[in-house]
Amino acid sequence: MLDGLSSNATVSKIRAIHGRMLTKDNYHEMLTKRSVQEITEYLAATPRFASVLADIDPNTVHRGFLETLLEKENFDTYIRLCQFQQLDKIPFFDFLIEKTEIDCILMLINSINTGVDRSYLNDLPGYVINHTKLDLLELSSADDFNKLMKLLRGTPYHKTLVRAALSDDGTVDYTECERRLRTQYYTNIIKNAEEAFPDSQSDEVVRMVKQDIDFLNQINAYRMKAYFGFSAEQIKKHQIKISNIGKKLDSYYELDTPEQMLEWLNKNEAQADLTDVSTLEVGMQREKFRRLEHQIYRSFNAPVVLYAFTQLCGYETSNIIHIIEGIRYGVDPSYIENNILIC
Amino acid sequence: MGIEKMELVTLVGQMSELDLCLDKCCESGCFHIEPAFSSVGTANGLTMLNEKNGYSAQLKEFERLASELGIELEQTDHSGYAPRTPEEFAQRAKEIGQSFEEISQRRKQAQQKISEVNGAITQIDHLKGMNSDFKEIFSCKYVAARIGRLPTDNLEKLDYYDENFFFVPFETESLYCWGMYFCPENEKAIIDDLFRSMYFERITLPGFVEGDSDKALKKLKQDLEQQQAESDECSRQMELISQQVKDEILKAYSKLCYLHGTFELRKKVGFMSGKFYIKGFVPKKDKKHFSELMQGFESVVVSYMPPDADANCTPPTILKNSWFTRPFNMLVEMYGLPNYGGFNPTAFVAVTYTVLFGIMFGDLGQGFLVVLLGLLVGKKLNKNAGGMMVRCGLSSMVFGTLYGSVFGFEELLDPMYEQLGVDFLPLKVFKQTNFILVTAVGIGVALIIMSMLINIYVGFKQKDYEKAIFGCNGIAGLIFYSSVAAGLVGTIMFDMKIMSLPFVLCLIVIPLVCIFCRVPFSIAVKYKKFRLSADEDEKMTVGGFIVENFFEMFEFLLSYISNTMSFLRVGGFVLSHAGMMLVVMTLMDGASAAAQPVVLVIGNAFVMAMEGMIVAIQIIRLEFYEIFSRFSESDGVPFEPVGTKFSATPE
Repeated sequence: MLDGLSSNATVSKIRAIHGRMLTKDNYHEMLTKRSVQEITEYLAATPRFASVLADIDPNTVHRGFLETLLEKENFDTYIRLCQFQQLDKIPFFDFLIEKTEIDCILMLINSINTGVDRSYLNDLPGYVINHTKLDLLELSSADDFNKLMKLLRGTPYHKTLVRAALSDDGTVDYTECERRLRTQYYTNIIKNAEEAFPDSQSDEVVRMVKQDIDFLNQINAYRMKAYFGFSAEQIKKHQIKISNIGKKLDSYYELDTPEQMLEWLNKNEAQADLTDVSTLEVGMQREKFRRLEHQIYRSFNAPVVLYAFTQLCGYETSNIIHIIEGIRYGVDPSYIENNILIC
Repeated sequence: MGIEKMELVTLVGQMSELDLCLDKCCESGCFHIEPAFSSVGTANGLTMLNEKNGYSAQLKEFERLASELGIELEQTDHSGYAPRTPEEFAQRAKEIGQSFEEISQRRKQAQQKISEVNGAITQIDHLKGMNSDFKEIFSCKYVAARIGRLPTDNLEKLDYYDENFFFVPFETESLYCWGMYFCPENEKAIIDDLFRSMYFERITLPGFVEGDSDKALKKLKQDLEQQQAESDECSRQMELISQQVKDEILKAYSKLCYLHGTFELRKKVGFMSGKFYIKGFVPKKDKKHFSELMQGFESVVVSYMPPDADANCTPPTILKNSWFTRPFNMLVEMYGLPNYGGFNPTAFVAVTYTVLFGIMFGDLGQGFLVVLLGLLVGKKLNKNAGGMMVRCGLSSMVFGTLYGSVFGFEELLDPMYEQLGVDFLPLKVFKQTNFILVTAVGIGVALIIMSMLINIYVGFKQKDYEKAIFGCNGIAGLIFYSSVAAGLVGTIMFDMKIMSLPFVLCLIVIPLVCIFCRVPFSIAVKYKKFRLSADEDEKMTVGGFIVENFFEMFEFLLSYISNTMSFLRVGGFVLSHAGMMLVVMTLMDGASAAAQPVVLVIGNAFVMAMEGMIVAIQIIRLEFYEIFSRFSESDGVPFEPVGTKFSATPE
């Protein structure tokens, strides 16, 4: 019981930071801006991003660097929250670091497949280097998949990726690698939660992770059916599979047309009316957004609240990037507003 | 003293009259605008007028002109100023700008050079000790050199690039590292590209920087002086021009602020087939005034509807208050405005706050000083805070008279009461401790019962039967609480055996059952259905219902006791105030005759400042936790009449 109570301060801290996150009104105001410079000035004046943008000159800052700084703020916040009550000593709380490592490995695989020299090192976020267990800089020396495997030897990622089929031209199936790594990621989270927390807490974490997996699988299955005409078997093969999870989706995968899938989703998942492809992803993401906000205010478990919070931070950054891109390319503000994730 | 009645207003007219109509809405000072519809896109052919504000650019242009001429922007009467359209303002801005353009350019060039020189000095400071000619470094045939700053996070990446370059860091800050990189001239395009991808911000040294660091610094300082003199001369000439155009710029800017603000309101206006559609609220008492303002239009049709006619709009709340209660508005707003159909608790707060303050801080002399201080604060700082202090001070004087306390002298008023023949006054605090504490609890019981009555009234008004009848603050709660209080008082204090079986069954057990089953009972009354949960989709089992309500009942009972006992602090502060003044008096008696007045003044000032503040905070706590929480629903929307704000924010 005392273990549970000991992380209440972290939960309160997260709720306080969540209270400073950008609101619908903030996004609305941002949509009235006409340049990246104005957006930077606006963000620098918000309590949420004031500290990270304090030393920035809005007139000279590069758009990419601005986005990197927003992501850095999210990552640093997560690190600070984990260190606040020494939660970082519990393996579960490495979930964002592990996710970052996986994203970097996938970035490298993509770079190897496309043969674009240096793109991995250029895109590697510098703020994560000192926090990951994997030497992400050392990985940059891998110019083919075999070398990457050699560098990953001794890490959990080696076992996961070693069986991925290598084609004659030296490339590897990116989608398969992604599926394997994501499966490993979610399996680890569930395992770590079950080992570290009492039943009531771990149940809540597992329930949330299962919802995450179902969400990914549902969207991916729809894409596979709508854009590539995959059969039920092919769809099942490409899903994230974790024992006892997603069995109820079998009937969804077996549907014949994308329209039937939409109907199924309308009936079983989304509260919003998903009328076509354009509304599907935004509608479902908004559904998830609502669920995460609910978790933050309903739950008293630090693992659940932190996990939900990091995802909300990701949505917030993606909304800002969406707005910046929209403004740069002169997109109608009402179109952008319809596509950003707010409730 | 309730909540101001509202009317929902819609204005429909031809687009040609929109600007004038918005002007009139602002002029009325009583129109609270709502978006014509809730989403940003289109609805039933109605589009939001989300146009680009044409005045924004001109507003910025005049801000720029004011900034260049060193004019401080302030609100000015612009009634006689002719330009109205953005084009007319643009023309005037151009004409004013041309009058000092040449001088301004010269000054800008001088200032830019000053910045360049200062920047170069900073850079050269980093290169001190390097005895090489800068010109030689930057004009190498085979080596390219770049100076600038690189995000600190990217520093570690540099070692992992195979390209032919090296980076020399000068100074590392939290976000950036200042430094310089060198690379072969024929590879500089690739390396520049690489550094750009890491967000390297390059700084170009001015062309005149040459020689080693000492020589370069000397040359730069000479140049700095020359440029400074040129800049000063230009500034003097600009000052003369500034005096000539100041009036016009201020008028133009004030008018632009007004027009810009009015135009911004268009974002809440709907548009369909050449007609505009505006929606909002007007207080009922201002309806006539608003209608008169709207009469001059040819095409504008004004329709009034009940405030709840549109489900998408929440009517705003204006609290109606008298002169006595008005200052206490700020406490209600601090807690949260009641909704439009709710109850205005300001009068209740005003009376209870004033009385409780007087009881807890009763002293004729100190109360008088609080009144004087309140008058000063009201005049100089904050009218509401001053008003509250005056009322509380007066109450403190009244109760101070009852306690017979004047600046801590507890016997000063005794002769007066003896002459009047009132033998039960003044109230000697330390001799009647029990009476004071019991009275404090009695006040608490009375206030809690009053809060419950207010809750019952609000519940019936909103047709919320759970709240009004079956809730812990409804009729059931009121009967239970007052019966228990009456039973205990009768049995303990007056030795009356009123806790008989019928009394307990009818006035204690049955209300408790009602509170326990408040959800199914209220559903049965309202919908004539039986359901254990208020949420239709929630499947509540009987076991779950019992467990959930058992704990809630436990919490309710605990809160009845704790909330009542909380009022003991009222009596506690009466004793504490008297105790602290007793300490002051004892210290004064121990001091020399010369020091006694000083001790008295300092002691009184200390007690007033410390205890006055603590008492004020404690009453706020009592009001918010023990009283407001029983009936207040603070989800009201404040009434914000449209208008334009002047904002001077030159860059």
